[in-house]
Amino acid sequence: MARPAVPRRDFVARLARMAGVSAPVLGLLDGSVQALPRSEATDVAILCGALALEHEAIALYDLGLSRNLFPAGLRGYAVEFRGDHQGHRDTQIAIVEERGGRPPERLARYELGPLRNGDELLRQALLIEVAAQEAYTTLISQIRTKDYLLSAAFILVDEVRHMTVWRRVLGVRIY
Amino acid sequence: MAGSTARAPRLAFTGRAGQLALPRRTLLRASGLAPLLALFPRREASAAEYSSAAKALDAVDRLEADVAVRLRALSDELPPVRPFVGSVLADQERQRGERARVRRRLGLPPAASQQPTAPPERDLASLRKAQEALVYAHAEGLPALDDSWSVRILARHIVELARHLTVIDLWIEAEEQRG
Repeated sequence: MARPAVPRRDFVARLARMAGVSAPVLGLLDGSVQALPRSEATDVAILCGALALEHEAIALYDLGLSRNLFPAGLRGYAVEFRGDHQGHRDTQIAIVEERGGRPPERLARYELGPLRNGDELLRQALLIEVAAQEAYTTLISQIRTKDYLLSAAFILVDEVRHMTVWRRVLGVRIY
Repeated sequence: MAGSTARAPRLAFTGRAGQLALPRRTLLRASGLAPLLALFPRREASAAEYSSAAKALDAVDRLEADVAVRLRALSDELPPVRPFVGSVLADQERQRGERARVRRRLGLPPAASQQPTAPPERDLASLRKAQEALVYAHAEGLPALDDSWSVRILARHIVELARHLTVIDLWIEAEEQRG
């Protein structure tokens, strides 16, 4: 797997920016902000940032599955992982709405790269899963509400699973 | 392979098909998060709700020791798995050191020494179950820490432990495919 040409933190922030993540959360992801005030507003900002990344991941899997780009033996994983992301999305939408917030909608278009074949798709899937894992790992310590913290922890476990499976498929060391 | 019958129950609280324990349902209802209940179907085992950081960290120490003894037993029988076992045990050792820092920061006593109570089953399914319990204990323990720095440390441990769990899943799938 080719390493990203930019430092990992920048690459995560770049993907997050493209997904529509808002400024305070982007600051945490790119390292320009060390911490946000622990508040309801911070929780909602994190939820919305996480949702933006979930939308982007779902868009990638939708595209790969609709174009039949995932190799036959890996399609089951893609369906599973898309389902996980849809679950993460729905859970976090419900939390935002329960708090009176307005969850971000899926963007009309995502810059997902050329995706001409299965290999390019898998590399992009890995990049997005790495970004999601890094984002949740960075943001989780800023979450104030215990139930959202718990949900985010279990979502993080899912993201690590996705990332590890794609790393193994692409021949990247997993232990 | 995805959808393998060897996969354990889905994780809770993520919107996945799976699990939610009654105590957690009660908590969600009490905290005004009742709309979420529709997203969290039944869970096979009860989610732990740790009442203190000490209890969460004690559970992690105990479950980590359980995984370690199972790994060593498998490693004795299956030399090809020794690199993986060595890598996991090294991660565990570093994590113990980092949890000791968390304990000091939170003013908690050092971890008690963990002694295995019985010889472990030497099979992958038992190892998977033990590793999953360790991952869950970390996730369920985060809310009890009530300290951002400590949450950050244990969240990084979750990343490593969930990776170990996935490697075990892939190992089980490979064994199944081999028949």
